[in-house]
Amino acid sequence: MTKKEMKIGEQSKPRFEFRSFGQSFDEAYKLMVRLSVPVPKKVWERSSNEIYILSRTNNINNTKIRDGKMDIKTYVQTVDGLEQWNPLMKGEFPMKKNVLEEEVFPAFMVEMPVLEKDEYTLDEFLAMIIENKDLQAVRVYKHRFGYMVNDTICEYANVLINGAKVVSINSESTEVDDIKKTIADLGLEGVENINYLQAIKRVIGMIDDPLANE
Amino acid sequence: MTTENQIKPRFEFRAFGHHLEELINKMNQLSKVERIRDIYEVYLMSAGNIKNNVKIRNKMMDIKVLLSEKKSLELWEPYLVGEFPMKASIIRSEVFPAFGVESPPFERDVYTLVQFLDELISPDPDIIAVYTQKKRYAYTINNCICEVAEVIINGALIKTIAVESEDLKDILDTKTLIGFNEQEENVNYPLAIKRVIGLFPRPMDHLHLTKN
Repeated sequence: MTKKEMKIGEQSKPRFEFRSFGQSFDEAYKLMVRLSVPVPKKVWERSSNEIYILSRTNNINNTKIRDGKMDIKTYVQTVDGLEQWNPLMKGEFPMKKNVLEEEVFPAFMVEMPVLEKDEYTLDEFLAMIIENKDLQAVRVYKHRFGYMVNDTICEYANVLINGAKVVSINSESTEVDDIKKTIADLGLEGVENINYLQAIKRVIGMIDDPLANE
Repeated sequence: MTTENQIKPRFEFRAFGHHLEELINKMNQLSKVERIRDIYEVYLMSAGNIKNNVKIRNKMMDIKVLLSEKKSLELWEPYLVGEFPMKASIIRSEVFPAFGVESPPFERDVYTLVQFLDELISPDPDIIAVYTQKKRYAYTINNCICEVAEVIINGALIKTIAVESEDLKDILDTKTLIGFNEQEENVNYPLAIKRVIGLFPRPMDHLHLTKN
């Protein structure tokens, strides 16, 4: 049986991911650029403004808002140090009270606020986040450059977390072995796998650990 | 008396950002870089405290106190609390009041730096220890102490330019010489760090999805 070829920008079954954050992945990035096959122009360079909602009580649900749309992913498993996350919910603002009660706040694993309105705008939702001591909304600006190495979707990104800059590098695929080969080919063996949730929590001081390099 | 205590309070202007190249180029035209220093510091941040800048460098704790503000420039007075290991009585009487939070119970008479951070700071939900690395480039421009610095805050980078002097007019003139506009916001270190870690400001506008 042959494996299904990865395609950038298209839905696939849940992917495994290696990602790390630090101040410099220059050598790995040079290799990524050299080893990549041509990729569609739409992924050459992308930028986006997002808001991540961080919960002090858990590291298994990753919530972000981009262009007024909410996306929650949930942690599934780790295989050979690579993490697999599945979509848990997608929603759009204004958001119905029942969606917030049944899907969003349960993902945060914090005490449910009293919701008196039938639906909530993004600003109203963020006001509830600011009021909750266990939750924090964080501004994230991403400037991403897409590549494809060993049939894995790769990315190098400059990321501003509440205005402070980190660099991220990643490789993702449905195939664990392809990612492992890519990690080796890019010289990233031994570099800690740090997902977005972890990186943001470390920068804002919610987790007291360093990034991969400073 | 220590050297730090002998420093006369200076007014300070400071700005943070990522696109400071034009300003730095101008500083390089006006002065040579006189000294480069790499410094590691731990800032201790609490939401309720805006008048005290509390930090630890090389096991020494110092607190800068905001004395006054004139023409958007801030006058800070450095005060050296002491060196670790530090007596609990000093931590109780001088350090925790600076945070604006209640002192915890003390189980030791003397705390090493690690014990202070692990046993008194980490468990306190109102205080956050923030780890910084600074690469500081020193200049003298128009009688002002100036600097450019690359600052890593909990692993993430921002850049800063500062102008300091005892003389208000010298600072304002130097700002203009370097190329700052009059309205440029004066952002001190505690405020910049609080913005990165999300401790301040809490209003919604810091979440507006505009370009950083």
